[in-house]
Amino acid sequence: MTQAGSSTAGNVPETYHYKVVRQFAVMTVVWGVVGMLVGVIIASQLAFPELNFGIPWLSYGRLRPLHTNAVIFAFGGCSLFATSYYVVQRTCHAPLFAPGLAAFTFWGWQLVILAAAISLPLGYTQGKEYAELEWPIDILIAVVWVSYAVVFFGTIVKRKIPHIYVANWFFGAFILTVALLHIVNSAAIPVSFLKSYSAYAGVQDAMVQWWYGHNAVGFFLTAGFLGMMYYFIPKQAGRPIYSYRLSIVHFWALIFTYMWAGPHHLHYTALPDWTQSLGMLFSLILLAPSWGGMINGIMTLSGAWHKLRSDPILKFLIVSLSFYGMSTFEGPMMAIKTVNALSHYTDWTVGHVHSGALGWVGLVAMGSIYFLIPKLFGQKEMYSVKLIELHFWIATVGIVLYIAAMWIAGVMQGLMWRAVNSDGTLTYTFVESVKATFPYYVIRLAGGVLYLGGMLLMAYNVFKTIAQGTSVNAVVPAPVDAHGPTPTLAKA
Amino acid sequence: MTSSPPDREPAAEAVLAVEGIHCTACTQLIELRVGALPGIAAIEASLATHRVRVRWDAAATTLRDIVGAIARAGYRAWPVTAGGSGAQRAEQRRARRTALWRLFVAGFSMMQVMMYAFPAYLAIEGEMSADIDALLKIASFVLTVPVLVYSAAPLYAGAWRDLRARRVGMDVPVVLGITVTFVASAWSTFIVPGPVYYDSVSMFVFLLLGARYLESLARARASGAIDALLEAQPATALRFDTWSPTATSAASSTQAPREVAADSLRTGDHVLVQIGASIPADGVVVQGMSLNDEALLTGESHPVACGVGDTVTGGAINLTAPLVVRVTAVGPDSRASAIVRMMERAANRKPALLQLADRHAGTFLWAIMALALAAGLAWWQIEPARALWVAVAVLIVTCPCALSLAAPAAQAAAIGNLARHGVLVTQGHALETLARVNHFVFDKTGTLTTGRMQVIDTIVLGELEAGDLMRLAGRLEAQAVHPVAQALAMAAAPLLVADKQQADANTPLLADSIETPGAGIEARVNGRRVRIGSPAFTGALHGQPFPAHAATRLGAHTLVALADEAGWLGAFALGDGIRPGARAMVAALRDAGCRVTMLSGDHLDAASRVAAAVGIDDVQAAMMPEKKTESVAALQRSGSVIAMVGDGVNDAPVLARAHVSIAMGSGAPLAQTRSDMVLMSARPADLSHAVAVARRTQAVVRQNIVWAAAYNLVAIPLAAAGVLTPWMAGLGMAMSSLIVVGNSMRLWQGAPHTAVAPTFSTAPHAQDLKAA
Amino acid sequence: MEILYLLVPLSVLLVLAVGVLFWWSLGSGQFDDLDGPAQRILDDDD
Repeated sequence: MTQAGSSTAGNVPETYHYKVVRQFAVMTVVWGVVGMLVGVIIASQLAFPELNFGIPWLSYGRLRPLHTNAVIFAFGGCSLFATSYYVVQRTCHAPLFAPGLAAFTFWGWQLVILAAAISLPLGYTQGKEYAELEWPIDILIAVVWVSYAVVFFGTIVKRKIPHIYVANWFFGAFILTVALLHIVNSAAIPVSFLKSYSAYAGVQDAMVQWWYGHNAVGFFLTAGFLGMMYYFIPKQAGRPIYSYRLSIVHFWALIFTYMWAGPHHLHYTALPDWTQSLGMLFSLILLAPSWGGMINGIMTLSGAWHKLRSDPILKFLIVSLSFYGMSTFEGPMMAIKTVNALSHYTDWTVGHVHSGALGWVGLVAMGSIYFLIPKLFGQKEMYSVKLIELHFWIATVGIVLYIAAMWIAGVMQGLMWRAVNSDGTLTYTFVESVKATFPYYVIRLAGGVLYLGGMLLMAYNVFKTIAQGTSVNAVVPAPVDAHGPTPTLAKA
Repeated sequence: MTSSPPDREPAAEAVLAVEGIHCTACTQLIELRVGALPGIAAIEASLATHRVRVRWDAAATTLRDIVGAIARAGYRAWPVTAGGSGAQRAEQRRARRTALWRLFVAGFSMMQVMMYAFPAYLAIEGEMSADIDALLKIASFVLTVPVLVYSAAPLYAGAWRDLRARRVGMDVPVVLGITVTFVASAWSTFIVPGPVYYDSVSMFVFLLLGARYLESLARARASGAIDALLEAQPATALRFDTWSPTATSAASSTQAPREVAADSLRTGDHVLVQIGASIPADGVVVQGMSLNDEALLTGESHPVACGVGDTVTGGAINLTAPLVVRVTAVGPDSRASAIVRMMERAANRKPALLQLADRHAGTFLWAIMALALAAGLAWWQIEPARALWVAVAVLIVTCPCALSLAAPAAQAAAIGNLARHGVLVTQGHALETLARVNHFVFDKTGTLTTGRMQVIDTIVLGELEAGDLMRLAGRLEAQAVHPVAQALAMAAAPLLVADKQQADANTPLLADSIETPGAGIEARVNGRRVRIGSPAFTGALHGQPFPAHAATRLGAHTLVALADEAGWLGAFALGDGIRPGARAMVAALRDAGCRVTMLSGDHLDAASRVAAAVGIDDVQAAMMPEKKTESVAALQRSGSVIAMVGDGVNDAPVLARAHVSIAMGSGAPLAQTRSDMVLMSARPADLSHAVAVARRTQAVVRQNIVWAAAYNLVAIPLAAAGVLTPWMAGLGMAMSSLIVVGNSMRLWQGAPHTAVAPTFSTAPHAQDLKAA
Repeated sequence: MEILYLLVPLSVLLVLAVGVLFWWSLGSGQFDDLDGPAQRILDDDD
């Protein structure tokens, strides 16, 4: 039983649909390089403004949304598509429902990214953070997303394993909630093909925007990636999750508490005080389920910590969780109104976001892709395990440089802005705080370059692995014997 | 479970599992209703186990009437019989699922309602516009409705049951409280704007259901040991229609067994037990040698070796080789049934304190409602707007749920813990008394010692190491039936079984075995002549004298020597071995502040040696049974609280005299055991564990009662004074119950400090003897 | 804050939907075995 072709009676065994997984996995790496490159460019523009070159579509204001969209929706999105399609098939023992539709989600999503990459530098934007794209692209996103939901839940429905693994619950919640958030927040009245106005006005719009914005973090960048964590950490460690019961509780607790934390993004604004306090309260409550999940993931290694020493992929996954723990502690703290008074609008927020994005989202996605690539291309392991190890250390040093620089810069800015002389005038002008931040911007740039460098190593490693291998699709285990012989591989 | 003493009219006895019991008032109602039937001799309903034990005159009424009477009282009952509770378990699972779902709905609603209620607490006067305020109230209302109609349904059902029976149960004030709060809040939402307390309703229901759910989990754990035991009894057995002992091994037997229902087995049947199968009934091994897993029956986690002539227990799992077993007891006579009956009997006995609580619960609840009404009326004079809320707060805060749970929850958790570790509590008072015991009296034979011939020392005299000596002896003695030979074969069994599994070449090859009765066995092993037996018989093979140092060391014990033509190989001392862990147990009891005495019918010399080995200095030897009883009585007169530990059979009168009697359960026929507690696995460590658990249980009960009483004393005046709002009252009342249950659950934790696991290469008891 | 007229009913509906989902998963035995599934993904050899 080494090749599917040798099986008896010309019975072609049913295989998982890995093609779309492969496509998304490869594009994760490609968009990772692109998104992080744009990040490095805008980081250097902040330190050295002359790098705008006076070209409007290279200016910071237009590249910044391109950077966020590229890393969150292109890099993060592709990795979520790839892993969720893989995990749902493997844990349900069922090939994808409607593979044609799955192929459409791939091409549709790439089209969205392409459209964003063109329209954002050209200056077409709705002006809502993390939801900048204009209404025709929004409609395309909605269509792709609904197709995604159909494929994912269709696969769940035709599953051969009665139990739905916890990772699928997280992926499912992520898919449904993002659909709802996107549709509500992007409701707009078009005035021309490339211009529209939000359906909500003033503070109402801000409220909806941050209801969306925070939940996008909660469900896109947390629930979805937790789904990844709950599958790939046990698989890579070869041990079951520390407490499956806790993971179920984690899921339901997260679902019930996340929705109302959004208003903390609007402390000290026109939003009524009680709404702000409500947001603060719920942000603090969020700490409990977040840390429960983190502990559950890390403790999976209890009794097998030595694996961490020799396995760089496990390093990616476990260290990502410690960054998750760190930023989910930092977040609620920053949601406290008095802390927020200092941190809001400073680079502290940027540091917080990046400890989540680079540390949690980035590392867990990279670890998962490193796990996937060899399996998708018929290899035992990546082309070079040493390069993975190198990537891990470069990336970690990069993150530490980045967030440490931003913390210091943020606190400094906050203190400078609020400092007043005895006569009540401001001690510092705004530009003085900008000047003081310069060295930290340079350190941040160095951190970003390191992180991008790691990503380039990954791209090379992935390229070599693919060049060595061939595309394979694993055979779906026969339903009568789910624990039967090792599934075989079939040439794609 | 029918017993018919000859001197009385035919009496029937049954245990019923009842769903829907929440408090002592429920048990009272059932006792009242069933007691009113003709011919009921005794009825006892247990809050701890949700079981009702009833004895009645079979001529006057039927079980059906009893179940009917319970159903009319508003509860559902099933007879519990050994082995046949599958439907009941399915029902329990369904009930647990429903309870979990009710709890979830309430908890979920609580979180959401609090979220909508929160702005009203946060907002500064006038900050929140009236329409937003109304919107949030309506949302709270919508989310509270499911709590009221679904989650609280069991509370309503309970209250309705009480009202129909024209009495007051725990659920009546609870239901009154939440209904009034909800209706008044709805009034404030839709008709006249005012304060709303939806969050109080959902929180109170959630916490109350949560406490009950936790309590039911604790109980499920306690009865889980019983259920596991019943589940372990196999449904079918492989029976030989005819059995003749000619076939040489079970596996190669020419007689083919037939699969029959386990129920149809009769005493004297022969059954084949395959590897991995459960033994279908109590019996005696007639062929084969194997290891059995008796963990469920005795809490003993190490497999127990058994060979021809050994008794085996129904429900044990046969681990290593097929066995043929002659059935000796089935159905209600079986050991498993006896265990189940004893466990249930203990769980159904009410501690004295609880009986007191039962009598006064009704009065107390009436007093609460009167108090609530009085507080409401008083506030009506002072500040009419608050009168309703004060009355509700008093009603909720005083509900004595915590007080009623204080003792049974702790008792259930402790009995569950002990059952899990192989200690059966068969009398309700046993735990309370054991906690007070300050003097332990032990019988010697079968209690501190195993009471069986066993290998207690091994001496290596030749080139073979101890393990190989044991293997060789085991092979040589495998076919012999002499007790000495059996002791050796048993000691070697685990090694030989392990060899077979690993296909180890160490196992010696054996040929031409000849037994000389009364002397020993000679055989060819790997070509060499080898003898096992008395030193004289074995020494004749090579003519050397038995080494003096070995003779001194093995001293007074029965000696078995092993030799080949070249000289001595080794020797074994056999005797009544001391139970592993006995010394540690005695030390633990001393540390717990108890005096320890040993009584023995043996002569002083033998008794002192055992006493010294286990560390007891107070020995009374050469005592006839009546002298033992007198001795215990004398100790009691001097003010000691005595626990007597014996083997449960030979010392029944002494056991009966002591305050608490504890039997070593491994040998004695359980059904006849009259002791208050049984150590199923006969591990001494379990005894010190039981003492520790008993003392912890009393401490926990005391804490629970003090806490619950203190809570009510503090809370009632506060509520009546209007300091507590309804939500605080609900929180306080439910938290006090949760704390009591949570505190009791601690008793579930803790395991005996088991002594070193028995090893087989040398007899472990030798160390105990040498240490003396 | 008229937006609450959208967001509050929306989240009440969402809460009810999640409740139904939980009901289904409880009823269909999703939480009956909470050890096996964790092990099973490891047995799925890939």
